[in-house]
Amino acid sequence: MIINVILLVQFLAQVQVASGPPTQEVTALLETGVAAEDRGDLDQAIVNFQKAVDLAPASPVPLLRLGDAYMRKHDYGAAIRPLKRAAELSPDVVAVHRLLGYSLLSQGYASEAIPHLEIAHESGALGIAQLQADRPAEAIISLKDALAKTPDDIDLIYYLSRAGSALSSQSQDKLLAEFPHTARGHQVLGQSYYAARMFSEAEKEYELAVTQRPDLPGLHLELGEIYAATSDWAKAEEQFRAEAKLQPGSSEAAYRLGSALLEEGKVKEATEELRHSDSLRPDMPETLYALGRTLAVSAPEAAEVPLGRVIALEKQTPLAGQAYLLLASIHRKQGKTEEAAREVAEYKRIQNLASKRGE
Amino acid sequence: MRSFLVSLFVSLCTITQIAKLSREPQFEAISLKGVDFTLRNSPTPRKYLIETMPGGVALLDYNNDGLLDIFLVNAGHVPDPLLPAANFDRSNPTYWNRLYRQNKDGTFTDVTVQAGLQNAGATNYGMGVAVGDYDNDGFPDIYVTNFGRNILYHNNGDGTFTDVTAKAGVGAGGWSTSAGFFDYDNDGHLDLFVTRYLDWTPEKSKTCGRIAEPMYCPPGEFAATTSILYRNRGNGTFEDVSAASGISTKEGRGLGVAFADYDGDGFTDVFVANDAIEQFLWHNNGNGTFSEIAMDAGAALSSTGKKLSGMGVVFQDYDNDGLPDLLVTQLPHEPYVLFHNDGKGSFSAQELEAGLGRLSGNVSGWGVGLEDFDNDGWKDLFVAQGHVFDNVQLYDGSLSYREPPLFALNRGGHFEKSDAGSDMAVAGRGAAFGDLNNDGWIDVITTSLGRRPQVYLNRGGKSHWLTITLRGKRSNRDGYGARVQVNGQVRFATASGSYLCSSDKRLHFGLGDANMGDVEVRWPSGGRQILRAVKADQFLTIEEARP
Repeated sequence: MIINVILLVQFLAQVQVASGPPTQEVTALLETGVAAEDRGDLDQAIVNFQKAVDLAPASPVPLLRLGDAYMRKHDYGAAIRPLKRAAELSPDVVAVHRLLGYSLLSQGYASEAIPHLEIAHESGALGIAQLQADRPAEAIISLKDALAKTPDDIDLIYYLSRAGSALSSQSQDKLLAEFPHTARGHQVLGQSYYAARMFSEAEKEYELAVTQRPDLPGLHLELGEIYAATSDWAKAEEQFRAEAKLQPGSSEAAYRLGSALLEEGKVKEATEELRHSDSLRPDMPETLYALGRTLAVSAPEAAEVPLGRVIALEKQTPLAGQAYLLLASIHRKQGKTEEAAREVAEYKRIQNLASKRGE
Repeated sequence: MRSFLVSLFVSLCTITQIAKLSREPQFEAISLKGVDFTLRNSPTPRKYLIETMPGGVALLDYNNDGLLDIFLVNAGHVPDPLLPAANFDRSNPTYWNRLYRQNKDGTFTDVTVQAGLQNAGATNYGMGVAVGDYDNDGFPDIYVTNFGRNILYHNNGDGTFTDVTAKAGVGAGGWSTSAGFFDYDNDGHLDLFVTRYLDWTPEKSKTCGRIAEPMYCPPGEFAATTSILYRNRGNGTFEDVSAASGISTKEGRGLGVAFADYDGDGFTDVFVANDAIEQFLWHNNGNGTFSEIAMDAGAALSSTGKKLSGMGVVFQDYDNDGLPDLLVTQLPHEPYVLFHNDGKGSFSAQELEAGLGRLSGNVSGWGVGLEDFDNDGWKDLFVAQGHVFDNVQLYDGSLSYREPPLFALNRGGHFEKSDAGSDMAVAGRGAAFGDLNNDGWIDVITTSLGRRPQVYLNRGGKSHWLTITLRGKRSNRDGYGARVQVNGQVRFATASGSYLCSSDKRLHFGLGDANMGDVEVRWPSGGRQILRAVKADQFLTIEEARP
């Protein structure tokens, strides 16, 4: 938060023009103060600048110098008062607003900092202030603006992500406060319970949501996932089936339904659903792997095709390793022991790679 | 008109009765008169991992009176803090292991002191039990595993036991869990396999989870360790052959152990249920050595390539194809794994086809048995359940520390949930199986932390059965390792399997409607005996024929 010397010189020149020249004694105090600053003796500089302020309380230059010295000392609270006064005396000087905005923000006065940072066009700090003032939608705009200038600023990226979360949370709060008994209200609450792994509470909310709006896309899918998380596969199947009916073109609904059916041991039906999912959206590795699992039971030779596609798509990932392991199981049953051994070796190689990557 | 009404009434009564019968649970949960044991694991806020792992139970006929007796392993008092070489207060009767003798009227008498079993070792925190007649004297001996030193109690045949651990050389050390007697070299003397869990000591203990709500650490936080194989020299002493046999070449986190000859080569193989690591299938090479081949045999990982949190295991043939399969219980979010024996030495995970996906995805299984509880000719499933973390609900609202057991009937190789007779939720651990009241129907006893054992007494039914006791001559006297086939069903003779437990050594077969059975025994010695048209509904002793 320390401004550099060049900028300060520019600020002082602006203020000088706005308020007229200071007296000789004041000038001397400012010079000795600056010299002390240059020596790193900020305490002495503050003493000198304070004396200058006392001698010329209506002059913005000593006030600005004093505020700046406090900021250099990281005593942002003490900087606020002289900077506020400087801003009153020189309301059109952008540099004063910039310093005051930063000092206010650093002390947690986000709402008060916002107008000064707006005047100073400090979009990054402004975004942070807006976020802290519970105005996440505006914060997102400001932070995006700042990031357009410095796209790799990790602090800005961090605050932007926080602003996104806050906006989402705020929207949820609004939904819950104003529309708690709607399907969306129950859905939002259900999502919160699900995230907290409070599954029975999440189930209840989703069931209320589904009762109200059985036609709402996604609701059945999410409720099905809750059932799946608790291994209640029969109920999961019911919900995924409802979603698949509602969205016959959804590859995900078909994939989830197929997976639930597989967990229930309904291999034939699972195969049909997973084939359907694959036709809707080809080359999804998870779908292909699940299809390989079902076919490994019902038609082992046919399982080699989707599992081969998983390996081709995934190459070195753990899912590719799983596909190798399943192929090994199929080939072992077929008496192809050499192939099985090779596939187990591939599985182990991929596992070792994953271990090295820390997965 | 009147006769129509009468027949309608009769029909309705019959329908009502059938409906009532079909609803009736196979078991009745009962308390055994005279059994006042409580498994005292003494949990502390420091979450010492040993606290959540006990304890074993054995069903054995220690006095050969034809009635099953019960031996229960207690845990101990855990000092807080737990220091190295701590005293678990095992001299306090509250923490004794207990032997209950069954009386002729079905009640039990605590004979712990009379039998000389009250000394469990002050520095031993109890875990499990194995039973076998290691000296072939006709009386079952007891091996108790501990965190500490294990104890071998020799059955003197007069109702008393003697601690022969030092002489026998089977004290092990570290943290032993499941153990089992089997004859790996077919020399007629039972050898001893001891699984060990972790390289855990009080100094290495730590807690995991949130600071305000600490939980037990998962096993991956501690180093793995090796199992131990003791070869019976036949003179009352054992030799540690862990290194020579190859067993100590791989470190695991063993909790369960089960034995069967999976590839029909005449030598008993060993499966170790490991926690959070690949499972081990030790193939008996027939020359005193073992090779760990689970990965190549397809029995190391789940069907999706995940490591199991293997806890209990049973090694029996669930689908009546004559080959022993493996069922491994584990923690939630993955079903219990069923490694189907495909023949030619390979396995494939078939839990989903067998219906276990629906039954076991969100529960934690420990002691497990495949027994024909309804005597229909198919081995059913019983699992003692309960999560390992006593505060798991703080971390996952979908899980429970206490769970009811799982009982599932086997319908032609597919398991379907059934009523265990009690849905009381407990922190279930051990499960042993046997015919407690000699009615031809298999009963269950389970252990749970902080509670008395639960007994599930089989209500029986109309199907026929045959229960066989083997008496080895050239083979070990218990006949452990024999392959016994009755009307196409196969059982591998063992008291081991499950978790920390030892079951009735008698081999039970449900015969369904058949009132006769053809019996074939393949003894570990290599001998083969066939008995034709054996009458059903009897306890049959088969003595090994001399060559």
